[in-house]
Amino acid sequence: MMRRKNTGNTEMRKLWDEDPVKIPLQKSKKRGLVLVTIVFFCFAVILFRLVDLMVVDHEKLSERAAQQYMREKTLTPQRGVIWDRKMKEMAANIETESLYAMPSKVEDTRSLTRDIAPLIKVSSKRLNRTLLKKKNKDFIWLERKMDLDNVRKINVLKEKNNYKAIGFLSESKRFYPKNKIASHLIGFTNIDNKGISGLELQYDTYLRGEISNFSVGTDARGNRLFNEVREPVSGNNLLLTIDERIQYIVERELADAMKTWKAEAAVAIMMNPATGEILAMANRPNYDPNSAGRSKVSERRNRALTDLFEPGSTLKTVLAAAALEEGIVRLNDEYDVSKGYIVVGGKRIRDLHKNDILTFQEVVQRSSNVGAVQIGMELGGKKYYEYIRKFGFGEKSGIDFPGEIKGILRNPRDWSGTSLAALSIGQEIGVTPLQILRAYAAIANGGKLMKPYIVSDIISPAGQIIKSVAPEVVRQVVSEKTAEKVTDILKTVVEEGGTATKAYIQGNLVAGKTGTAQIFDNQKKRYSRERHISSFVGFVPADDPRLALIVVIYEPKGGSYGGVVAAPVFKNIIEHTFAYMNVPMERDENQIILVSRSR
Amino acid sequence: MINGLNLKDTRSIIFPVIILVFIGTLMVYSSTAIMAMRKYESGFHYLWKHLFTVCVGIAAMLILSRIDFQKIRPFVYVLLGCSLFMLLLVFVPGIGIEANGAKRWLRLWPTTFQPSEFAKLVMVIFLADYMDKNIHRMKELKYGILIPVGVMLVFQIIIIKQPDFGAVMSMGILTVCLLILGGARLRYAGLLVLMTLPAIYLVIFSSLYRMKRIMCFSDPWKEPFGCGFQLVQSFIAFGSGRFFGVGLGESRQKLYFLPEVHTDFIFSIIGEELGLIGVFTVVSVFVWLFIKGIKLASEAEDPFIYFLTIGLTLMIGVQAIINFAVSTGLMPTKGLPLPFISYGGSALLINMAAAGILLNIAQRNNSGGAEMDSTFHGLSLRNSYVRRMR
Repeated sequence: MMRRKNTGNTEMRKLWDEDPVKIPLQKSKKRGLVLVTIVFFCFAVILFRLVDLMVVDHEKLSERAAQQYMREKTLTPQRGVIWDRKMKEMAANIETESLYAMPSKVEDTRSLTRDIAPLIKVSSKRLNRTLLKKKNKDFIWLERKMDLDNVRKINVLKEKNNYKAIGFLSESKRFYPKNKIASHLIGFTNIDNKGISGLELQYDTYLRGEISNFSVGTDARGNRLFNEVREPVSGNNLLLTIDERIQYIVERELADAMKTWKAEAAVAIMMNPATGEILAMANRPNYDPNSAGRSKVSERRNRALTDLFEPGSTLKTVLAAAALEEGIVRLNDEYDVSKGYIVVGGKRIRDLHKNDILTFQEVVQRSSNVGAVQIGMELGGKKYYEYIRKFGFGEKSGIDFPGEIKGILRNPRDWSGTSLAALSIGQEIGVTPLQILRAYAAIANGGKLMKPYIVSDIISPAGQIIKSVAPEVVRQVVSEKTAEKVTDILKTVVEEGGTATKAYIQGNLVAGKTGTAQIFDNQKKRYSRERHISSFVGFVPADDPRLALIVVIYEPKGGSYGGVVAAPVFKNIIEHTFAYMNVPMERDENQIILVSRSR
Repeated sequence: MINGLNLKDTRSIIFPVIILVFIGTLMVYSSTAIMAMRKYESGFHYLWKHLFTVCVGIAAMLILSRIDFQKIRPFVYVLLGCSLFMLLLVFVPGIGIEANGAKRWLRLWPTTFQPSEFAKLVMVIFLADYMDKNIHRMKELKYGILIPVGVMLVFQIIIIKQPDFGAVMSMGILTVCLLILGGARLRYAGLLVLMTLPAIYLVIFSSLYRMKRIMCFSDPWKEPFGCGFQLVQSFIAFGSGRFFGVGLGESRQKLYFLPEVHTDFIFSIIGEELGLIGVFTVVSVFVWLFIKGIKLASEAEDPFIYFLTIGLTLMIGVQAIINFAVSTGLMPTKGLPLPFISYGGSALLINMAAAGILLNIAQRNNSGGAEMDSTFHGLSLRNSYVRRMR
């Protein structure tokens, strides 16, 4: 049987002689030796490989390990709440769900796309493309802060079809419970809760809180292994000077006026003249900050301090205050306005209503342009300019709101021959409604010009006051005596013979002034005859002012005079506000003083 | 006696088995505790099941160590039939259990059984018996190759349908090795191996999934989050371990990073937790066990006992080597557990049964010598394998 019989091996021969089975067994054992050697070789290779992996590659592999064990986590804080002065929530947060996808884990893009696309704001074609293009990404947002209804529908689909590649994350969404009320003031945030406009933008650093970034050890499913969470710091809360009730009254009245006069826009600002606190600031048209993306830019503009207009007659009060302060006129000085016009630098300035001789006081009361120009001439351009500046025109009021403009006020050096006359009747100057209101508030406040403000306190999440704003006197513009005199003149505006009898309020004396400005038509290079800005600005009660209010109606149709268009709005707002504030009536209908007070 | 190998005489092969089972139990618990806690709310879920199998395995080992194996020989074909029947039963709905797209398990209350593991053992017993009977005809193509390979193919074709490529591969390697040892002509054996290459090629490239697996094996870092994921995670486990490991129970890879931590990739977790010391220990114990098996075989004077001993030793050794090679990226991924260590009842049971047979042989060899093994003193000399059947 054996092929290679080793005849020299006596032992082998002996075995063969003894038992034929032993020969192949011996041969097999020889082969076994080779096999065993191969097995040992395999074991040796494995040992080398282990050393290679565990010692040589240790650094590289353990670095890789560390990478996959640690995950970067970002926890976003709760944004601060915005309260009105009565602690009513103007801006708050709600929990919403955001849909994400893990494109790398999507198995069947087609069916996922077909199911999900109708429930989010993306077309199925685009969703399909996105998922395929970002195949190597581990995380993309599909839609942030979704409707609860669609969240429920997607959850049902997810359950049914076992979609593992999509999921929801809770996110805090900004919510404005008062919807359109004070929307221009509060502003809004973007999807990442960053302030984009209004107070949300102005106070973003206070409101946003601190995002917490940290790395956390996790298992492969993302479960946290040890407790090393750094909680984010919630944002600070804002306490506003705004009173939501008053704001509502103001907005309602503006809306009415918009409807009545088919106006393009309307603005009203209410201020506490003694402190500069803004109690209400409203604009029309308006928008809902809960869906700011769907509104137009023009709807979101806070015209109260971002839009220029020529004030017209309301500036005559500044002129009067300046003339009285400088002592160049007395209340009973007379002005001849019988011609009905005055020619300055070859330009004719007309009065709206014809008068004969007017006293200084009546010039303001009846808003005579001819009289005002004469007073302006008497005062002189340089002095007048000084006072305009002192009253806060041509400068920012310093209000805590983004985007305020300082207006246009040219230096006397750059004036033309008609500039002084134009300025005397409130032209050739660009102002904001807020600037006008502030100037009148200064009259109401004994000549002290205040810095307006909207946020009174910044309060930490724990309830501590971080920053408290104190009223700030910017400067004494005119003496208290002058302010008193101007107030007396302004009172007559609302009285019989004045331009704003429609602003007359039962029981309380109003000091105010109408303004009817023509809009300068840039195309025709002249003042438009049809387009006006009607305004009324004043304060109540005249002798102990608690509220200063300006109402500006842009381009009313069917009426133009401030006394006709804006004054009734002023009256309505004040009446309702006083009712809300329980302000006692000072006088009865016959204007007999019921409550005496010392000034 | 295997020429040239001066192996130190060892009394019993039970020690390496005990050490491996101990390490296995420890590591099964370590690698499954957290997983079980999350899934079953008890960290011991897998441990209890594993311990149950260990107990059954010890019982099987002790019973088999006392049965005269010569008496089983006439029933080899019955075993073969049983094994085939069980393999086919897997495809019967209700009895067979499907998991992860493979039908490999039989429902066997209260547990499950994997017939392909049993088939490996039966194959070894069959070949030992067959080669002993045909020891003088093994050089012939028909008896040396065609018949035994035919039997193997019947098993493999059924197993490939499950599919269980790990079992097919280990059975193939085992059979070829045993046939070469049995005296089959090397040129036939070489031809056989060559012939399997197109078959392997066909099997791999017939399915995109398997093709991808092979591609990934060649460069797992190309797609570390795709198909290379498991291998990369295994590497990371080893790499984290270095010399002394991250500490028992401290593995991070078992936290769902590395799939199949308690079964096919338990060696990686041993590397991570116990370091080079741990894996060298495990490999060394397998080498120890292997040497003891070979020593036992070299002492055998009966071809059946010789083939059986070396066959069982190779069965354990080859599976261990394949598992090591797979987890260290030297071989493409195949679902094959590490003998005595991995969680998985059938494999553990079968390997312990194999160890029981080896113990039996060792005991009989020794009782044929000068000393009686004290453990098995109850067995009489009458049963010793000194005599031959031929």
